[in-house]
Amino acid sequence: MPDAISYDNVSFAYATRATRAGAPKALERVSLTVREGERLGILGPNGGGKSTLLKLTLGLLPEQTGSIQVFGMSPATARAKRLIGYVPQRVDAELSFPLSGRQVVQLGAGVANKPWQRLSLEQREDVHQALVTAGAQSFAERHVGAMSGGQLQRILIARALACRPKLLLLDEPTVGIDPAGQQQFAELLRTIVQERSLTVVVVSHDLRAIAAGCDRVACLSRTLHAHTAPEGLTPAVLAEVFKHDVAAIFGELHVDAHKASSCEDPSHHHGHHPGKPTGGAT
Amino acid sequence: MKSIEYLSDPLLSPLFWPGVLAGLAMALIAAGLSVFVVVKRLSFIGQGISHAAFGGVGLAAILGVTARVTQAGLEAAPFHGIPQFLVIAGFCLAAGLLVGLIADKDATREDAAIGIILVASMAVGGILLRKAKTGLEWESFLFGTLYQVPPADAVMTWVLAGAVLLVLWATRRSMTFWAFDETASPAFGVSPRAMKLILLTLLSISTVAAMKLAGVVLATAILVLPGAIALQLSTRLYAVFALSFASALLGVLVGIVLSFELDWSPGPAIVVVLTSLFVMAKVVRAVRGRQGTHGTA
Repeated sequence: MPDAISYDNVSFAYATRATRAGAPKALERVSLTVREGERLGILGPNGGGKSTLLKLTLGLLPEQTGSIQVFGMSPATARAKRLIGYVPQRVDAELSFPLSGRQVVQLGAGVANKPWQRLSLEQREDVHQALVTAGAQSFAERHVGAMSGGQLQRILIARALACRPKLLLLDEPTVGIDPAGQQQFAELLRTIVQERSLTVVVVSHDLRAIAAGCDRVACLSRTLHAHTAPEGLTPAVLAEVFKHDVAAIFGELHVDAHKASSCEDPSHHHGHHPGKPTGGAT
Repeated sequence: MKSIEYLSDPLLSPLFWPGVLAGLAMALIAAGLSVFVVVKRLSFIGQGISHAAFGGVGLAAILGVTARVTQAGLEAAPFHGIPQFLVIAGFCLAAGLLVGLIADKDATREDAAIGIILVASMAVGGILLRKAKTGLEWESFLFGTLYQVPPADAVMTWVLAGAVLLVLWATRRSMTFWAFDETASPAFGVSPRAMKLILLTLLSISTVAAMKLAGVVLATAILVLPGAIALQLSTRLYAVFALSFASALLGVLVGIVLSFELDWSPGPAIVVVLTSLFVMAKVVRAVRGRQGTHGTA
């Protein structure tokens, strides 16, 4: 089976004054293979290059060094063939716009249609199926502004599924979603992968988002630090990835980290104690 | 009623009908554009563009493509002729794109850019208009000149309305996608830059058309209020565009009648009607919201 995505020694720097003056690149020497049918989580701090990696995977930024192949094609080609479905952070959508959930999904299916082409019967069926898979049928006719965070996320997932992609990219899927919704989100990911034999990549700074729904986790902070099963995410690994961020996020993380890793080694605690309230560890 | 008298009198009607027809075309343009302008928060850019039009008016005057005041009042119509339209539209477009370009690089500077371009264009327009010695009155540019619209201008407004609606129809899916979810649009093959460029271009040329009716100061009101009213009243896509058209039409027609009956300037009259509609729409929404919480819904 071919790989869904292969990153081969990918580096990327934005052309800013700081970068030219020698500031670190956004991404450095990232090599990673995502197998077809896999659910990969990419965990990393804000500013760790996650969005850059997503944009490169979508072909929205040019590769600078190294190469990326999506189903054996260049990312831009794969996107043009509509093999990649993308689910953005929901907070960015303009919720005052007068659209129903179904209309949003229809836009995902028909956005590349010629102006005189109506949505084909097949496309309408795709929209229907996408809503069913995403579990969004019951509120599909509601205005997007009247939906809960979790409901809107399902609509955005359905929109990505409506063009029958083979790869689904999700950007920070748990931002603004309550814990119950996050649990449902993990189940939803499982359903989608089973029903559609999709490859899924979830990018997040939130360990819970990734630990619950993914088979494998890669930690990204400018470069890849580890990739492992979610159980392998020991505080030591997390501390390495998040470095300065760790104090800030550990307040939320320590419970999950306890659960996730029973083989915690006290000697690897870099100045933080999972059981204690955090603060001042940087 | 003066309105009926003006529009049916064989001597007076040629003075008024072109303006009324241009107003109806304007309602069509506004209905389509204003929803996007409101949702994408482009009303302040629109304000900048319409003020830039005053600079365009000055430029047109100094280039000599503006009519001059003669003994016969009609030839003094400040907005006629395709060359003048092109000069003003070009000026507006340049201003709009300049703001768009600056905003694209740094969103925080957009606000200042609009403010600067707005006043600079007004100043340039004022100086050039004075220098050109056309004898045109400032007020006609500022508040509109419904009674002096030449038939050719009315035709041009309809052509413009056709063009604007055609472009909006052709780009409806990508435009709607972008308006709803700008961040995700590149991943779906929709270029945010292209969409903003198209919308700003439509807004710029529509502003020039709106100036005939409402003048520089009030032109944007026509291009913003119908959408704002409609969005108060519905969250359904087709209903919003229908309501937007209905309120634009109502605003223009009632505004024109008021301006005839009460001898108001047409621009302010139209804006007063549209603003009242907006306030009513707000009230309707508030009442509905209260019913929603206390009632069965």
